[in-house]
Amino acid sequence: MTEHDHDHDHDRTVAPMVDEITDFEVLEIALRELCIEKGIFTAEEHRLMTEFAEQIGPTPAAHLVAKAWLDPEFKKLALAEPMTASKEVGVDWLHPTGWGTPSDFTAFQILADTPTVHNVIVCALCSCYPRPILGNSPEWYRTPNYRRRLVRWPRQVLAEFGLYLPDEITVHVQDSNQKHRFMVMPMRPEGTDDWTEDQLVEILTRDCLIGVALPKAGVKTNMITDTRPAIHPGNAG
Amino acid sequence: MSAGGGGIEHLEIGALKNIVERGQVWSRMAAKWGVENPVPPWKTSLDGMCDALDQAACDAEVPDFKERRDEEDLLSATVYSNLPYPENQLVSLAHSLMARGVIDEAELKQRLTRIRARLEA
Repeated sequence: MTEHDHDHDHDRTVAPMVDEITDFEVLEIALRELCIEKGIFTAEEHRLMTEFAEQIGPTPAAHLVAKAWLDPEFKKLALAEPMTASKEVGVDWLHPTGWGTPSDFTAFQILADTPTVHNVIVCALCSCYPRPILGNSPEWYRTPNYRRRLVRWPRQVLAEFGLYLPDEITVHVQDSNQKHRFMVMPMRPEGTDDWTEDQLVEILTRDCLIGVALPKAGVKTNMITDTRPAIHPGNAG
Repeated sequence: MSAGGGGIEHLEIGALKNIVERGQVWSRMAAKWGVENPVPPWKTSLDGMCDALDQAACDAEVPDFKERRDEEDLLSATVYSNLPYPENQLVSLAHSLMARGVIDEAELKQRLTRIRARLEA
């Protein structure tokens, strides 16, 4: 068979690409090559870390919570031994180096919501996040705006995500750091009786596991939230 | 490269300034070429580089995790405030490495030219 002796249409099957070299692409390669040449890290170390960054995502965390909703014994395990429970959804916190990534191998704790306490995570210092089980943090999680304001005015910040909590619910803001990572286990919502694990996973979006949203039957995507400049309520109006 | 006193945000790095001014940010390039990926293809490689740097941070000049993120926040809010994410993360990292003397601006300029020629060959 010759190279094009087949009957599909390349125009229809190949997704469009940016077909020019951008300065940012060149800069990324330049920094990486110079660091490798200076012996700061090796190409193999970089490849390993990049592979890790590409394969992580929020799905294991969603499975962990769905399993806990369905199995009280697993919930106990998840709260008592979160790293052991993580392995049951395919996440080994020691990957990829044997001691985790430099900024990720830490103590890990799962914060279970109750009818009177709502948990939400932040890293006021930088952007520590439970990456092995929840993937890379969203852009807004990294902003000083979210980090600074959530710890001061949690209800206002949550309201910006569309989450309005009544006064009788205590908001517990958990600050992450380089030694401790957290994720939220929300309560199982109404209307999900008899659902399978896979059905439950669909509504356990990343934002629910950070604590800026609550799972709801029928809602399967994270809310799109534009980052915005910090507003000091004392100066508003 | 010239420092106007004060913090690293006052250091002017011509090579990076040129890149910012040309403005080939992903949102613009993606729109131009009809691409829907929300982040540029080099993003995960940048993530890998940050992790690899954090692992190497025992070297004196290399910023550790907290220093790197603090400097990224400072630079993204000041000298690179017109760049979106993750371009501001990449350029801030380059700025930090040059401000700390890990990479020299002249060698970066030379390398940028060589890599572009290689990619366009």
